[in-house]
Amino acid sequence: MTMRRRLPAQFAMYAVLVLLAAMWLYPIGVAIYKSVSVGGWHNYAVVLHHPTFSYWNAVGNSFLMAGLTAVVIMIISSLGGYAFSTMEFRGKNVIYNALLACLAVPIAALITPLFFSINSIGLRDTYLGVIIPLIAFNVLMMLMMMRNHFDSLPRELIEAATLDGCGTFRIYRQVLMPLSGSALATVGVLSFVYSWNEYLLPNLLLKTPDKFPVTVAISLLQFDRMSQEQISQLYAGLVLMTIPSVLVYLFSQRYLRAGVAAGAVKS
Amino acid sequence: MAGARRRLTPYLYVLPIVAISGVLIYLSIGFTAWASLTDWNGLRRMDFVGLQNYATLLADRTFWIALRNNLLFLVVTVSVQAALGLLVAVITNERLRGSNVFKAIFFLPIAMAPAIIATVFKYMFEANYGSLNETLRALKIIGPHQAVEWLGSDLGVWSIIAINIFQWMGFSMMVYYSGLMAIPEELYEAAMIDGAGWWRRLTGITIPSLRGTTNVLVVLGIVGSLKTFDIVWLTTGGGPGVSTHFLSTFLYQARSNREAGYASTIGMVILLIAFVLSMLQIKLANRQK
Repeated sequence: MTMRRRLPAQFAMYAVLVLLAAMWLYPIGVAIYKSVSVGGWHNYAVVLHHPTFSYWNAVGNSFLMAGLTAVVIMIISSLGGYAFSTMEFRGKNVIYNALLACLAVPIAALITPLFFSINSIGLRDTYLGVIIPLIAFNVLMMLMMMRNHFDSLPRELIEAATLDGCGTFRIYRQVLMPLSGSALATVGVLSFVYSWNEYLLPNLLLKTPDKFPVTVAISLLQFDRMSQEQISQLYAGLVLMTIPSVLVYLFSQRYLRAGVAAGAVKS
Repeated sequence: MAGARRRLTPYLYVLPIVAISGVLIYLSIGFTAWASLTDWNGLRRMDFVGLQNYATLLADRTFWIALRNNLLFLVVTVSVQAALGLLVAVITNERLRGSNVFKAIFFLPIAMAPAIIATVFKYMFEANYGSLNETLRALKIIGPHQAVEWLGSDLGVWSIIAINIFQWMGFSMMVYYSGLMAIPEELYEAAMIDGAGWWRRLTGITIPSLRGTTNVLVVLGIVGSLKTFDIVWLTTGGGPGVSTHFLSTFLYQARSNREAGYASTIGMVILLIAFVLSMLQIKLANRQK
């Protein structure tokens, strides 16, 4: 929609953008300003050497759970998407639609049975106990994206490989995977970010503070009656805990945006 | 033998997803349906009580407050996010200098954890020493000793709505932005020749062409509204009293109070609403085509 623009129109557009940007930057500015307003930069040192809260531990836990979830989701969503896209089998559409119907199911609606089943198989307060439901709820959208991706690849590739005598797994690994780099990266990045941001599941299933990911570990910096100094330290902690997300965002912007667009356009 | 193996192969590929996701979710739904008919306390005792929980729920004041809050949240967030997202997408699509910086600013909150954003806003909204009131006092918008209760029973839901818009407007923007790319340039050129102005092109071409995109955002908004938990639980916790409860926090509260049967009933109602609204939206979208 490029067209000749009059100067007032351009000015009005900038005015809207600047006004909105100011509103969006305000909370971020508040967090950074408040983190040094009482106690100065020393707050960051205090948070990093806190007696009851370990920053590196929390970040490590988040990385471990989000990373493992993302890897498993990349594997099983590409395997499933491959079958749903290229193979014919009985009940295919029923299974696919039954899975996608769960996209609308909120985790919050099922916390009671989730807690009960994770607890009864002895996985309460373990990383695995959080990772399993994380995979279960996040994999469905990724399955849809992988299937759409495989649908977009030319059928002739598979037909030619089959004539050459390749089995289904060899086609998956040697023909299709090399063409799926960016789709897989998108699935991996989205799964990682969604799992990193999850609060409800780890809060429900973990009880040892040493195992808390960042989202739950925030509570370790909050107390009943907080002094101004403690609030500043909390803000310092929040800023520190946002840094990994911002880094992930900077390094994977392309895939994150692609994923947002793909997930929304096709769902 | 080889034929049977070939016929079974596809199932091996879908097995991991079905085993982890399908089984866990559908078993949980079945379990919830059963538990919603009992007086289970989450541990042992589990007696069948029929539809008693459902009757209790319909008479529960908190349920109606939560339902109202969910609906208000849904309507306001979906429309404001769509309107602002479209506006920003259209403006940045004009290829103004620096528009990529603006896009990055609006998109950034999507990568940030709602739990962290919620905590930042919670202290920012605090009435006495919170930054928002301090800023408003400094700008003389409110009196020097005035303390607006952003998380009180009147404004609480609106503040939660604001947090959601902060986090998700960039999402609508990106989705609209990719939708804009798909509109053929010729449509605009033809309209220009006919002398259509900016506003006529927006309402005559852009918005109708993006109808599919808008539908998607509405569906995602419905689902997102029912999934909203962190930004409520970590700011107001449903309070003061029960004024800012959402269905999800109401359920969480019931579960914490050892009313697992009742919590399951709330869960069933959430699932039912999700199902009905999604169906309705799909119906409407199909009719428009």
